[in-house]
This record gives sequence, structure tokens and C-alpha cells, in this order.
Amino acid sequence: MPITYDMMKRATAQLYEWSLRKVPDDTLDALRRAREVETNEVARRTLGILLRSAEMAETQDRLVCSDSGVPNYVIGIGTGVPLEGDIKRAVSDGFDELVATTNPPLLKHVTNPLTNERSYRGKEMPLVTWDLIDGVDYADITCQPKALGSGRWAAMEIFTFPTLEMIERYVMECVLKAGSQHCPPVNIGVGIGGTFDYCAKLAARATLRQYGTRNPEPILAAMEERLLAAVNATGFGPMGTGGDTTALGVHVEYAAGHGFTPVAVAFNCWINRRTRARLYGDGRLERIE
Amino acid sequence: MEEEIRRLRMPLSEGDALSLRAGDMVLLDGEITITAGLPTHHRIVEVAEGRREAPRDLHGGSLFHLGSYSRETEGGGFEVLYMNPTTSTRFNPLMPGLIRHFGLRAVGGKGGLDAACVAALREVGGVYLSFVGGGAPLLSDAIRAVVSVDWNDLVSHYRLVTLRVEELGPLTVGIDAHGNSLYGSLSETAAARMPEIMAGLARARAEAEAEAEGSA
Repeated sequence: MPITYDMMKRATAQLYEWSLRKVPDDTLDALRRAREVETNEVARRTLGILLRSAEMAETQDRLVCSDSGVPNYVIGIGTGVPLEGDIKRAVSDGFDELVATTNPPLLKHVTNPLTNERSYRGKEMPLVTWDLIDGVDYADITCQPKALGSGRWAAMEIFTFPTLEMIERYVMECVLKAGSQHCPPVNIGVGIGGTFDYCAKLAARATLRQYGTRNPEPILAAMEERLLAAVNATGFGPMGTGGDTTALGVHVEYAAGHGFTPVAVAFNCWINRRTRARLYGDGRLERIE
Repeated sequence: MEEEIRRLRMPLSEGDALSLRAGDMVLLDGEITITAGLPTHHRIVEVAEGRREAPRDLHGGSLFHLGSYSRETEGGGFEVLYMNPTTSTRFNPLMPGLIRHFGLRAVGGKGGLDAACVAALREVGGVYLSFVGGGAPLLSDAIRAVVSVDWNDLVSHYRLVTLRVEELGPLTVGIDAHGNSLYGSLSETAAARMPEIMAGLARARAEAEAEAEGSA
């Protein structure tokens, strides 16, 4: 049975609604663990406030943050499932319908970058990264609404044949520049290699990894671990008012390239907004997180 | 046991403002004024310069960088469905002038303000309060009444909204009225720690390489 326009429209809108209300479980666990080991009292209390806010949003069906961001999806279509209808249009129609019906209503965050006018619609919205997944009979849909608070601190630089030391120094420079401002404790995604555009995607993809996971490449697994310790040694702390917990995880992804090596760094705020589900041809929407 | 968090009456008195120290946590009761809009700040600058009429008197009051969803009710009033802080630093260029002109006792949002704002707050005896980002349920529950919603031609989060709140917070004093800024000192500390942090990364890299060679 095919995935239809209606199914995709409903699924993408549903994932957006979920993502605004539910802080992912791995993130809640990481926040709780951080609160146990945090040595700064204000930071410990702040982590407690963040956890309380997350709990209220989840149990009372409320928005965690007033900034619902812009709709941003990664959609992997299984090669084993047929499609029916305008699947791309379904995502934007789904967002239009969500805006018209969701309760409480969302603020207007979609911004025309040429005029700075804000509304619910805009060129190329929602932002979707399409991919294919060989051999499965579902579409894997991730919704990751992005907002200015953490989004504005992402950065990229292109090196030539960098050493690991140069890469790590650049990540730390980005961390210092963001300082107290990206609603820490953050999830840091780093992309290394590929091309300019591909590298940015790698960093974004890295921010979707669950806390506690390590890159299977041993060089990167070790880098993730030491960078996390380095970031937390800066002392910016929860909400940037001081403490041991500036990041809950550093995730690095890489792709082969050609000697000119882009390094991209992206941040998710403490909410770590991310909802993921599998949509099957029989209409089932299996929520993964 | 955790220490009781101090409750402060808004608008903040000079004595209360001066009694706070960076790092203190507080709860607010009373009237606050909020907006998340840059165009709104431009309008407030026009008010300060006498080029626009003030929708309400901001002198000695508060101006917090919080966005809110407000809508008209059937009775012709307004309700605010939720509110939450936004990044304050993008208002850095405008805030020193506004803090001085209106003698703002309390400003706030998230992420802090720069050194020029710290100097202005010190001059007028004002503080910067840090709200938790992603605290919408908690912060919105403190709203007791909508006092006014002005500049309704703007998108909701840009409007100038005055609310009556009870037990708003906890908030952290990020910048006090004595020139102390958590943001300034944390940035300086982090920058000063960088050589040590980079040396730690170098040691960890060497260990990882040795381990890889050992297992090869």
C-alpha cells in the first residue's frame, strides 16, 4: 500500500505538534544526570527549573517554548514503499493546516530575510531535507523546528588539510562566541568534510543523534568525548549564568572530501527539539521519539 | 534544604535594585512590561526622543525581552496565552540609551547584555534578570492580569505588553546595579581558560592515539 498525500500531510503536522510539547527522553535523562553532578548551586536550581518546565509542557499539553521555530524536516523515503500524490506539497499543506487549527496558536516566526517581515508562510517553507533509505517499507520522518535562540550561533569554516587540533580549536572558538546565549545546556553537532553544503547537513544531522551515542569511527568517538569535557570546562553553565553543564553532548559526523575540509558547528538549545516517527503505507504512524 | 527564594515587588524600588547581587535568584510580584521586538525598541527610542507618543509611561519601570501571544477577547480586552524570553543581546545597541532615558530599574530576557549596558545599569541603579528559555509553562502561569497591550499593528511577540504577575520566576540576577555581570565574567573566565582547555585536548588526543596504536 502506498504512502499517500493525506498520510504525509497528517504525519508531518502531527510531528510538529509533538516536538513543541515533548522534550525527548534521552534529553530529560541527560538533564537529570547533569543536575546530580552539577556543583554550582544556581546551575543546579536552573536545571531543576528546566526539568519542571519540560514536565509541565508534557503533562499539561503546553508549548515548552513560545518560539515554535520554523518547520524543518528530514524525511527518508524507504525504497520499498510506493508513493501516491504530491508528497512534497503535503508537507507544506500540512503546516498550513496546523497553523490554522493548532491550540494554542503559534506565533509568526517564518521570516522573509529580505524585509524581516514575519508570517506563517515563506519561500521554500517548510524546509525539508529529502533522502532515500534502501530496503525499508516506510518513510522515516524527523521534525526539528529551528529558532534563532540556538540557530544563530551555527558557523562554518573551510580549512585545507586540517589537523584534528585545528578542527577542535575551531569548535571551541564557536563555543566561546555563543557563550551564554544559546539556551544551554546545548547539544552540539559538528560536521567535518564533504563540501560546503554537505558539511552543514552533517552538522545538522549530528544534532539529531541521541545523547550517549558515540560515532562508530574511533577517532571521532574519542573526539566527541574530549570535546564535551572541554566545552564543559568553559563554565558558561545552564542558561549561561555559570556552572559545569554547558553542553549535554557533542556529536561529530564526517564525510570524505577533497582536502578543502569544511568544519561546521551547530547547536540545539536544551529542549533539543526533535520528534521522529515511521510512516507506513497502511497509514500507521509509529512514534520513535 | 534549598534556601527560600526572595520575592520582589515590581516596579522595583531603588533599595531593592541596589540590594541585589549577580547570581541571586528572585521571584517577582507586580507589574512588568515586555516585548520581543526590535521594531518595538525602535519605537521606544522614538518615544525617548520625543518623536512618538508613549503608549504607557516606562519611567522607573521594567522592560523585559519576553515574547507573548496576545489576542483580543470578546469583551474587547486582551488575553495572553503564553510568554517566554528571547535573546537580549540583539538589543545591545539600543539598551544603554533606553536604560538611561527611562531610568529602567529592571531589564531582562536571556543571554545577557554587553558592557555598555552594564555601565548604564550601574549609572541608573538597575539590574538585568535572566529568565529560563523554554520556560513558557512556568512563566506563563505567573500571569494574573493583562494590564495593557499596545502597538497592536505589530506581530504578537513584538507588541508592548504590560502584565500583572505573581511569583514570576525563579529568575537569576545576571547583571547587578554595581557593575557585576555574570556574562562578562564568565566570558572572561572561559577565554582565560582556553590555553588550559586546549592543552587538555592535546593530552587527550595523544592518549587516544597511543591507545589506537596499542590496539593496532
